[in-house]
Amino acid sequence: MSVQDRTNEFKACVESIRSRSSLPSHADTKQRLLQQDGKPGPKSEFSRMASAIGKDISGTTLKLSKLAQLAKRKTLFDDRPVEISELTFIIKQDIAGINKKIAALQSYVKQRNASGSSSAEGKQIDEHNNNVVMLLQSKLATTSMTFKDVLEVRTQNMKESKNRTEQFMYSTATAANQAPSSKFFRLVDSMLYGSQRSDPMGDGSPSHLDSKGKGRAPQNGDVLALDLNSAEEGGGAHGGALMQMQMVEQQDSYIQQRSTAIESIETTIAELGQIFTQLANMVAEQRETVQRIDADTHDIASNIGGAQRELLKYYASISSNRWLMLKVFGVLIVFVSFDDFT
Amino acid sequence: MKIFSIAVVLAPPGGPVVILSSANDLSSFSFYQKGTVSEMLTFLSKTVVERTQQGQRQSIQEKVYTAHVYNRGGAEQLAGVIVTDQEYPVRPAFALLTKLLDDFTTKVPQTSFGNPSAISFPEIATYIQKYQDPRQADAIMRLQQELDETKIILHKTIESVLQRGEKLDKLIEDSDTLSKQSQMFLKTAKKQNSCCVIM
Repeated sequence: MSVQDRTNEFKACVESIRSRSSLPSHADTKQRLLQQDGKPGPKSEFSRMASAIGKDISGTTLKLSKLAQLAKRKTLFDDRPVEISELTFIIKQDIAGINKKIAALQSYVKQRNASGSSSAEGKQIDEHNNNVVMLLQSKLATTSMTFKDVLEVRTQNMKESKNRTEQFMYSTATAANQAPSSKFFRLVDSMLYGSQRSDPMGDGSPSHLDSKGKGRAPQNGDVLALDLNSAEEGGGAHGGALMQMQMVEQQDSYIQQRSTAIESIETTIAELGQIFTQLANMVAEQRETVQRIDADTHDIASNIGGAQRELLKYYASISSNRWLMLKVFGVLIVFVSFDDFT
Repeated sequence: MKIFSIAVVLAPPGGPVVILSSANDLSSFSFYQKGTVSEMLTFLSKTVVERTQQGQRQSIQEKVYTAHVYNRGGAEQLAGVIVTDQEYPVRPAFALLTKLLDDFTTKVPQTSFGNPSAISFPEIATYIQKYQDPRQADAIMRLQQELDETKIILHKTIESVLQRGEKLDKLIEDSDTLSKQSQMFLKTAKKQNSCCVIM
């Protein structure tokens, strides 16, 4: 849906029609109508500004439809967040720019109104300008609504994909949860190692823990880096202050884990609330449909009842003897009179 | 995700560490290993409690076993140790320890702390059996799981409501048609009665 400028085609058509139907008296007025850009002054400028805004709005709508397509994609891995966020940003800027232009146009129109044009033609021009401004504003409003819907769809899809990744990679999540505590495993190991130098507990254990310290395969890159770090530090000096700080961190980490878990519960509950409101909305919308069906059914019942009454009356009238008698006597009389004639 | 052993330990700050009550679940080990493993677990529990200060939680890894220890201190100077495998999530382990210690302090009077063999705390065995599944232990995890299930059910509900909407739309079309047909029926019946007196 791009804006095409077919003014030239239009002009060519008009020329050809005019040459076919020779109406020289109206040629001048038609000339004036056609050559709007030849006319100087604010009228054409207004239409230029309005058409520029209209082109911007259509361009923004195009970008918005591309964004909607991107946001609708539900693949887990091929999501292109950079592109989507760039596009969102561009569209936001466009909408803000169009808003400003429309505001400028509106102030321009008001200024023209204030400068006064009391002729009938001027009033029509003002009305037309106002209408055009309203139209542009309403178009911009619909574009913004569509933009908001697309953003909502995008956040929903992101949440869904996050849930799916969590489902598929739950074990990785638990491993990641253990990673912070494994940091402290390392430090506690080195602490044990350090203190056992002075107080040997038994034969097996220090060397156990020690070899554990240096030789265990780490769970992920973070732990490996901290392994080397703490191995150096723990082996070299009993960095008491550093270790104490890490101990405090461990206490915090337990609390932090609890708070993250509770926060996630909170978000889940909020989502549930939203789902419930949506559900209620949908059912309320359907209520109206049900009422229509109900009214229709009542109509049907009354119609059928009336029709049945009519049919009963008809049946009664047919099966009653009065008309029958008249018809029989009528036929007899007709036969008798025919007989008489022959 | 298994728990290997749970133990409640008396841990006075300066003195010796005494295991007051413990329960093991060694079903995954062969018969000949059970003795060694249980000794090792006891020793591990004692050691880590000695190394933990009062009011602190620690998690220590030893080969495949992870020991979570919570030294509660307090008036009774108790500490709880739970030895699990590496998969068992950390936070519910500590929640379990807190719960265990609270339960122990309510059930067992402090006077019998000096006599470990006399303490009977059978709940510890039920603890270890029931909480092999961490979701049971931790209220938060259970809550999260139930909420997720509820969300799934709600999604299905919304889908069925959508289908209901479609069916309602079809119904209303049908009832519209029926209504018009019944009107035609009524008209024809009326026509029968009034005109065509000849018939």
